[in-house]
Amino acid sequence: MIVDYLIDLIPFAADWPGLVFVSVVVLCAVPVFMFIAVYALVAIYGELKVSSFMQDKVGPMGQGVGLHAGKWGLLQPIADALKLILKEDIIPTTADRKLFILAPFIVFIGAFISMAALPFSQTIIVADMNIGMFYILAVSSLGVLGIILAGWSSNNKWSLYGAMRSAAQIISYEIPAGLSIIGVIMLTGTLSMQGIIEHQTGFVWGILPNWIIFQNPFTFLSFFIFFISGVAECNRTPFDIPEAESELVAGAFTEYSGMRYAFFFLSEYANMFVVAGVAVAGFLGGWQSPIPGLMDSPGWGLFWFMSKSLFLIFLMIWFRWTWPRLRVDQLMSVCWKGFIPIAFVNIFGIGLWKLIIG
Amino acid sequence: MGVGSVKEVGPVQAEQMVLNIGPQHPSTHGVLRLKVKTDGEIVSEVIPYIGYLHRCFEKHAESITYEQVIPFTDRCDYIASMNNNFGYVVAMEELMDIKVPERVEYIRIIMAELNRIASHLLALGVYGLDVGAFTPFLHMFRDRERILDIFELTCGARLLYNYMWVGGVSHDLPRNFESICIDFLDYFEPNIPEFNELLTKNKIFIERTADVGVMPAEVAISYGVSGPNLRGSGVKWDVRRDEPYSIYNKFDFEIPVGTGEYGTLGDCWDRFWVRMLEMQESCKIIRQALKTIPEGGDVHAMVPKKIRPPKGSIYRRTESPRGDLGYYIISDGSEIPFRMKMRSPALTALSVLDEISAGWMISDVIAILGSLDIVLGEIDR
Amino acid sequence: MRAYFTTIWESVSTLITGMAITWRHMVNIRKGSVTLQYPEERWPRPERDIGFDQGEYNVIRSRLHVDMDDCIGCLKCERVCPVDCIKIETHRVDKGEDIPDVGHTGITSNGTKKALLVTRFDIDMTECCYCNLCTYPCPEECIYMTGGPNSEKHQIDYEFSQYDRNDMVYRFAKETSEEQVAIATGENGEKK
Repeated sequence: MIVDYLIDLIPFAADWPGLVFVSVVVLCAVPVFMFIAVYALVAIYGELKVSSFMQDKVGPMGQGVGLHAGKWGLLQPIADALKLILKEDIIPTTADRKLFILAPFIVFIGAFISMAALPFSQTIIVADMNIGMFYILAVSSLGVLGIILAGWSSNNKWSLYGAMRSAAQIISYEIPAGLSIIGVIMLTGTLSMQGIIEHQTGFVWGILPNWIIFQNPFTFLSFFIFFISGVAECNRTPFDIPEAESELVAGAFTEYSGMRYAFFFLSEYANMFVVAGVAVAGFLGGWQSPIPGLMDSPGWGLFWFMSKSLFLIFLMIWFRWTWPRLRVDQLMSVCWKGFIPIAFVNIFGIGLWKLIIG
Repeated sequence: MGVGSVKEVGPVQAEQMVLNIGPQHPSTHGVLRLKVKTDGEIVSEVIPYIGYLHRCFEKHAESITYEQVIPFTDRCDYIASMNNNFGYVVAMEELMDIKVPERVEYIRIIMAELNRIASHLLALGVYGLDVGAFTPFLHMFRDRERILDIFELTCGARLLYNYMWVGGVSHDLPRNFESICIDFLDYFEPNIPEFNELLTKNKIFIERTADVGVMPAEVAISYGVSGPNLRGSGVKWDVRRDEPYSIYNKFDFEIPVGTGEYGTLGDCWDRFWVRMLEMQESCKIIRQALKTIPEGGDVHAMVPKKIRPPKGSIYRRTESPRGDLGYYIISDGSEIPFRMKMRSPALTALSVLDEISAGWMISDVIAILGSLDIVLGEIDR
Repeated sequence: MRAYFTTIWESVSTLITGMAITWRHMVNIRKGSVTLQYPEERWPRPERDIGFDQGEYNVIRSRLHVDMDDCIGCLKCERVCPVDCIKIETHRVDKGEDIPDVGHTGITSNGTKKALLVTRFDIDMTECCYCNLCTYPCPEECIYMTGGPNSEKHQIDYEFSQYDRNDMVYRFAKETSEEQVAIATGENGEKK
């Protein structure tokens, strides 16, 4: 949407369509990157504070700039980021140098380009493709390639274990996530992100907003399956077996340090946002207000989208600091014996519901 | 000849990979190296290599006087220093035939049981960390800190106390000790059900620990495993009850054993659960002791001026949080022990690791190791 | 089939119970926080006081301190130290006489006459194991751990970090040259 809008603004767009398109895309990439960076700082701060509060401590605190971490520790994520940037960049001598350098960027690209199709508001979406949902599902699985590369190229047994676990896990959990999204697509009849959200206007059951999660019991279940599979795709606890700091030291990222490690970190948080964003757009009405008709302008749309997404991210943080980690085979059985059968039943149920009731 | 027809190669035989867990690893509970032979995730053999923390306690004790040994016993099992002091002084007093005042016996038991709670809190919390739950760990450390505060109030030190002396204790209890201790117990006992809800009864935790690393009673006994690990296998053996030392026979307490509630008898969950129940029993003992502790008297009354035991030898075992902690002391009549041997319960617990963890996954090896609650300071000494 | 749904129900209910507990801790953080903002706040804080009354009854483990004016050089602390972190050198001098050149006082605050000049009293605090064994045998009570009941003699000091490991060796005896010692002990003939 923004891309089309910008191209329309440029008078000579018709003469050099390719050049203009590429430059506009680059122009759009800069704010997206900045958004990820700022959001990651906020999310790291939130994670620090939420985890501390749950553990009966206060987390990063301080009296002012220069003393500890600023007021309420607000400078802590910036200090963390600076530390990671300034750290020595170590590449093991026995590592596969090219792949080792390439891996963090591939992981990050997977999360980064998914952002292009996220509908932040009625007007703010980098590109409203007619296959938006499909696009996100496709490109977000690029991350697993980077993790496998990282694990393989590090030439370290722990990394290899992490990479293999990660591959098995992410590929498995994409199935229930995809199957739950199919239900959404069946109801809305479109793959475009804006189309899916626009379908969710108005009321359902009289009082509830017409979000897909409320439309019938099967979609309600679908949301949780999608969300938990998404948590697994982000490698977050209780599904953090590729990192598993008490077993695999740091899993696939054991040999990484400094900025390269920061990229993995950043993409983990960016992935969390993508999962939350897709869940919000697909099930929680995207930028729609919880009270239909009230506070519906595009500005409020951004607010609703962000607050819903951040709430889901808070849920992920909450999971992480409450639950233990699953074992690798249990992880698989949860996916294949638990989520996938339920997801199939859901598709069937949603279809029946649509046929019979609505 | 082509490259490997099916006949030549035979069934696919994957090569086993040797993986070194440690000496630097987040969950080896100290500096321990586990040489693990793995086939993918499945572990076929676990060989522990110890000695990274060896400090020559036994040899060193042969060149220092009897009272100087006590600070070194602190440092063997640094999680439960009071219990280590206790074992040593009990052995020494039996060797020297000293009868300590009754108040001292009570003080010692209160301290030993408080330290048992502290040690179990650490073991349980770190076990949560091993299976990936971070929050229970810090909740338990929060309560452990209160116990350390009580120790600081009593003897000034928070971790390595040198509190129990041969024939007495270094300081009498402060006047407000009883109220502080009761305050702590009143605060702590309601927290145990919360730990259970947060971690013990959590489905993921049960999945990770129940049926994993099953140690049948015969295996446990034949390896000499003792303490909560043995009781987790359903054997009702506790030195405090079966060979009472000090005045443990005066107190009324249960000996919790594993029941296999969620899996097989003797799995990781049972060992965890036994520790959880033992904390409650320790609270019970402390409450009884605080009620009946005699007032007055000098805690240094029976402390000998010079510790010079008669010729002879003694072996005495006590129940430390990790199991049977034995001291074997040979005296040649001088001020310096001729030979000192410490029987470490954690060492026997570690030796059973290979037996019970072969065939499980890497994650399970970590979980089994954590459930044995080893302290490398005591293993290597 | 029934077991399948029971498992799902157990998982969901126990996981949500856990989340409720962490939520409770998060919203009650103001009441439940146990953090000490270390450089600004230090342990014993009044509101967390568990009866840590310094004047009434207290024991402490902190840095060792020696009041050299009271030390008679009996070597009891050196002998009892399990890690040999105390090093003492003494010289025989006239009993009970002050020798201002080497900072030697003849009589301790308890009234004991000193017969030995202590020229070296080093405690290596990197080796000290804080077992408190050295403070009990001292006949003049001049070696003690700072703070606590001794706070009128020396303020508590448990944060004595140094950049150089040699700075952790605390030298309590006054620096003396060999000549001064020789004069003080009368070894060179001129008795002081």
